[in-house]
Amino acid sequence: MDETATVESPEVSAGTAADWNPVERVILERRSVRKYKDRQVPDNMVRRVLEAGRFSPSAGNAQPWKIIVIRDKAMIDEMERDIVRWCKIFKFFLDWRTSALGRTIPWLLAQTSIRVKRNQLHPIPFGAICLIAEGKLGAFHGAPTLMLLLEDRRGVSRPQVDIGCCGENMVLAAHSMGLGTCWVGFVELLKYGLKWRRRLGVEWPYRICEGICLGYPFGTPDGMIEREAMDVDWYEDGAMRTVVQGGDDGKV
Amino acid sequence: MAKFSWIERLSVPTYDNEVYATTGRLRIDHDRCNGCGVCAQICPGKAITIKGEGKSKRAYLEDEFPQCMSCNDCAAICERDALTAVVAYDFGLYYKKLNRGGFMPPRSY
Repeated sequence: MDETATVESPEVSAGTAADWNPVERVILERRSVRKYKDRQVPDNMVRRVLEAGRFSPSAGNAQPWKIIVIRDKAMIDEMERDIVRWCKIFKFFLDWRTSALGRTIPWLLAQTSIRVKRNQLHPIPFGAICLIAEGKLGAFHGAPTLMLLLEDRRGVSRPQVDIGCCGENMVLAAHSMGLGTCWVGFVELLKYGLKWRRRLGVEWPYRICEGICLGYPFGTPDGMIEREAMDVDWYEDGAMRTVVQGGDDGKV
Repeated sequence: MAKFSWIERLSVPTYDNEVYATTGRLRIDHDRCNGCGVCAQICPGKAITIKGEGKSKRAYLEDEFPQCMSCNDCAAICERDALTAVVAYDFGLYYKKLNRGGFMPPRSY
């Protein structure tokens, strides 16, 4: 052994991309999967993914979630059809470019509702509503397994954040096993009408919050990509500076 | 860094024109692309179309108002590294994005 070699610092040192540890690698390589193989995911793998969710952090350890696993192809297809139906209804009333109601009324409705539901009617989901209604975009992308995350409204502080933690734990665990996942916010549309709330037994205190599709990915969608750098305000030694995370300014 | 004006804070545009909306933009290397179409299938905004016949098939970004959200899923799935997002989306006014820089790969510090 080379005696002159410096002792490695116990802290994580600056390194190259080859130095990612396995957890970082899964986090950085995880991409949303929007095309799945038909092959069903084995039971035990789904259970293993759920186990990662059980051990996620939550405010006051309230664990304000309930998870519904759906592995019935006919049921998932029926849900997809209903989501498409709701998207068509929303598109009819809100898409002033194509609606049969003419241009003025949908435009006024869109102007009003975008102010009430700013986040839900952001141009990105609005475009997705139109694409789903036109049949160009699928909701569940042919995934054989669907997990619905219900929010327990009696939870501590912000139950939806806890559901995000729970879901992300499960998603990362799934990708580490070679599965693919995609968050599907459009399951929220199933809350309209009594049909699915009755069928899935969604009642107080539960509310449909998010969905995650799970399956074997088609092709190799996972991989590292480029993302926008982000500015981080950094307070240290009585001064603030802006650190560009991901940028060339590596020195902090 | 840009700041929100009061008018911007009160304005929620409805996006029937491209005046205040910048969509994501891709750079597609047509020498590398072989038109296999996987990117078009997985694109969440269906912003990529495959044009051409036979061996001249190539991926193209939609011409008018591509619903590209610069997620780079296409870049990840492309086996030939033919495309990547170069401009991030920004819907201006109320939805204006602040604090975002250029595209960078993951780097360890």
